[in-house]
Amino acid sequence: MLRVIIVGAAITSLIALPLAAQKARPQSGTGPIELSVKQLNDRRGGQFFERLQLVVELPGVASGDLSGARVLLRSAVDDTGRNLLDPDAGEPGLETIAKSPYEDADDRKKPATVSFSLVSPARTATSVKEIAGEIELYMPSKDPNSSASVPKFLSFKGKLISHKALKANGVEISLVSDQQFEAEKKRQAELKRKEMIKEEYPEDIIASSIESFLEYFPKPEPNDVVLRIKDPKSAIQSVSYIDASGEEKRGFLREDEGFMFLSNWEGPPEAGWSLRVDMKTAKSLIRRPFVLADVPLP
Amino acid sequence: MWKKWVTDSLVVCLTLLFVMGTGPVLAQSGVKVEVDEVVDDRFSESPLQGSLQISLALTGKDLDRIEAARVIVKEARDDRGTDLVADRDAPDFRSLEYNQGKLEFRLKNPPRAASSIQMKGVVELFVPARDANSRVRVDKALAKLDAPLNAKGLRAAKIEVTPLSTQKYKEKLKAQELDEAKIAELRERGKAEGASDEEITQIIELVKALQELGGGELSDRAVVLSGRSSDFDRIQRVEILGADGKPVNISSRSTSSDGENATMVLEPSEDLPSNPAIEFTILTDKAKMSVPFDIKSVPLP
Repeated sequence: MLRVIIVGAAITSLIALPLAAQKARPQSGTGPIELSVKQLNDRRGGQFFERLQLVVELPGVASGDLSGARVLLRSAVDDTGRNLLDPDAGEPGLETIAKSPYEDADDRKKPATVSFSLVSPARTATSVKEIAGEIELYMPSKDPNSSASVPKFLSFKGKLISHKALKANGVEISLVSDQQFEAEKKRQAELKRKEMIKEEYPEDIIASSIESFLEYFPKPEPNDVVLRIKDPKSAIQSVSYIDASGEEKRGFLREDEGFMFLSNWEGPPEAGWSLRVDMKTAKSLIRRPFVLADVPLP
Repeated sequence: MWKKWVTDSLVVCLTLLFVMGTGPVLAQSGVKVEVDEVVDDRFSESPLQGSLQISLALTGKDLDRIEAARVIVKEARDDRGTDLVADRDAPDFRSLEYNQGKLEFRLKNPPRAASSIQMKGVVELFVPARDANSRVRVDKALAKLDAPLNAKGLRAAKIEVTPLSTQKYKEKLKAQELDEAKIAELRERGKAEGASDEEITQIIELVKALQELGGGELSDRAVVLSGRSSDFDRIQRVEILGADGKPVNISSRSTSSDGENATMVLEPSEDLPSNPAIEFTILTDKAKMSVPFDIKSVPLP
């Protein structure tokens, strides 16, 4: 494993990273985080994926505790002096770290890993002289209000889900029943019709527009659960199902016409399953500075 | 920038060997080989192996007559003299239908201090139009299952292919399943070749997973062909012909081999005519053309 030097300087004060979009302000921690480079991949040339990718290991963080991470880079330079920061890269989002169903308790105790990318160094470079920035870790286990687990959530069909953690984060989730969905579809079509009448469209055009609107109105896929979600602080990080055996099945949300469609690759949820909503809170987000120095290049 | 340079100055004109009596197909045509792309994929110490990935493009007339090709690298060195050849064995022919007809091969990663490479080798082209015997059509190929196909063209090529019934296919799969004796044999062979216990276990698990993957139920339309692996190695393509004489769409093709025997499963995505014909495209020597290349000073990214 590659040697890494941790610099104890208080880097936090030097970094001016845009935080406005981040509703829950992360905790700054107590100093630089311990980390080491587990793997480097310098992919050079080609039309796609040219970059230096680093996988870093965090000895002080168990993989089972880490549900998301992002690396906010301040500087990165190789030993020829080339700047390795991508000038076009925006601020990275918090990336959810998927849990493997094959992980056991021992695996979850192993150090967590986080990956990030830089611009490819010069061919003649032999090392990355320094990479500095902050790493933000999302650890729901640090805050009981960061995760809401709703047993037998399908019993809430047509109703608002009631949960302390959702309430604490200002999140409202309701399961939309088929009747509610159809009623909303009709309501929106009626609104559209009234607008068109007001704008004095000919009747035949209104009729064909409404027909087309209804035809192209989003249709839930067979595996979808239709939700209404209010999340004013953009707290929701991920939504997943927990099956009867306790296995997590990652959910994917897509928004269309005001509805949120929750899907899963494996199939529709069953009656006994739980819904887990992980949310970003001030206590569950931890931001710590880091510096990697003299990282040899492959 | 290097790509432009390659295009401008590293185009190697290769004159295909003239073969008497082969007609106009590619015989007198010039084919150019260009370096299309060089990717140096480098990894620090990890289970993942890096490589220098080279992509070549063929240009010239009548390229659509080339059905498949392969690159045999004889020499590859960087400007510091490092030998970069990873594998001198001839790879399988790859259809030019895929990957926009690009020919890819891998070399070892050159040191970072290297700035260019040079390569010598042969591009082998497979041009079925050069040899009428490279296409063998077998009418009513599925009329008699579990018996070798009786076709003059296959006999001439010394290739034996047997269409299998579902029952026979299942028996074959069962016989190939990894049992304790086969696992023990695999372990012994792995150890003899210096593999660690962990590596051997990983390979056994992989074989089991592949067997599970390939052991699914066949559809009613599935066509299963069986034969010697060495014979299947000489078959470039198999098509089931529809009522109009054109190949039917095959949604999935898979070939498994235990080294000695091979089984090919074709899953058509449409109903087959009763008793369809099967067309085999065979890699005959007459249909192959060898084109040497010598490419110098390819800049490294």
